[in-house]
Amino acid sequence: MPLRETEAIVLRTYRLGEADKIVSLFTRQVGRLRAAASGAQRPKSRYGGMLEPLTYIRLWLFERENRDLLRINSTELLESFFAMQGDYRVQLAAQYIAEAAERFLPEREVNERAFRLLLAVLRALKASREIDRPLLYYNYWLLRLAGFLPQLEQCCACGRALAGEEIFYGDETQGLVCSRCRTSRSRKISGEAFSLMEKMRRSPLDAWMASEPLAPAVREARRLFETWMEACAERKLVTLELLAAES
Amino acid sequence: MSVFAGPLSRLIDELKRLPGIGQKSAQRIAFHIERAAREDAERLSQAILEVKDKIRLCNLCNNLTEQDPCEYCSDPTRDQSVICVVETPYNVVGIERTREFHGLYHVLHGALSPLQGIGPEQLRLKNLMERLKSGSVKEIIVATNPNVEGEATAIYLSKLIKPLGVKVSRIAMGIPVGSELEFADEVTMLKAMEGRREI
Ligand SMILES: [Zn+2]
Ligand SMILES: [Zn+2]
Repeated sequence: MPLRETEAIVLRTYRLGEADKIVSLFTRQVGRLRAAASGAQRPKSRYGGMLEPLTYIRLWLFERENRDLLRINSTELLESFFAMQGDYRVQLAAQYIAEAAERFLPEREVNERAFRLLLAVLRALKASREIDRPLLYYNYWLLRLAGFLPQLEQCCACGRALAGEEIFYGDETQGLVCSRCRTSRSRKISGEAFSLMEKMRRSPLDAWMASEPLAPAVREARRLFETWMEACAERKLVTLELLAAES
Repeated sequence: MSVFAGPLSRLIDELKRLPGIGQKSAQRIAFHIERAAREDAERLSQAILEVKDKIRLCNLCNNLTEQDPCEYCSDPTRDQSVICVVETPYNVVGIERTREFHGLYHVLHGALSPLQGIGPEQLRLKNLMERLKSGSVKEIIVATNPNVEGEATAIYLSKLIKPLGVKVSRIAMGIPVGSELEFADEVTMLKAMEGRREI
């Protein structure tokens, strides 16, 4: 039974029987996986608050031959995101991050950039308690790193360059379209929202947040990305519905 | 084809759907029922049906009850000025066992948990807010679970209720009685420090 050490972010937990939990994790060294934590439901569990959603931990895993489910041997707290989730909006944003990560990051695939993205976005939420800019940045980069980001420079129907054009998006297409290719269901996006994307591509989150004011275009772009997230995710994201009710 | 006769295998299948019951336990219980007297089996099935037919939610506090309002809400000896808010009817039982709380209850039937699709709209809060309107309630004790969901719910409630001039308190979170400080993780330790009291 080899023991593996890895860093991880807890995405969520499920009860397993009377005493144990199954933990859905995004690990830095092994990728996304599920592992069993024995005794984690007990009040005196040695895991304490370490398996709460979005906690950043170091853990030691047992890999068991012929078994899909790994077993957690021990954990160590690296950074807690417990306190910020006392604010329902921040809790909602944090759990959306977890649900989207489960949906877009394939199991057992190491993705160092996605791991750093999750940490950076959680830290931005913790520091700012604001959800719009961190979530927009997360949506953009998660889609990009997972290979789902649509073509943003050209009309996805006719290929015409979009800079300087009127730009639209719709539920039925999975990219941006020009004014000639728009349909009756397409919605227009502003030039400001469009130009946000180029800036997000070039800067780390903290630098981008420092330079990008919280303008209406941020929320507009967030909504556009959430339409794409929903379209790519195939099944509805539960947290996305609650987010829509919040904003 | 099942190795058990039809009715027996149907009973085993039903029992297996209960929490904590696996194939072996289900078989043991099914054979026990088969051997038991007919009256025993009738009493069991009657008890199950009665739960389904007679138990409902108290209109005031959402607790499970046979009569509405429930025994707590209709007991004039209980302190009408304090309401303890809990996530599940189970929690009411746990607090009653202490014999130290004599106020009323309110059951939310859940906690804010976006991953399970539970936002403020899904909690049973409307009748709680109604109860506060009368002005006789002076304190709300929030006894939700000591986890992210319970904490978010507690803070959400306090933001909602404090403006009405009602005191909102939260049960202490921290080191379990009988354990040792040396094994507490930092999150638990921090909560325990926050919840300290003068002695
Ligand atoms: Zn076009
Ligand atoms: Zn009642």
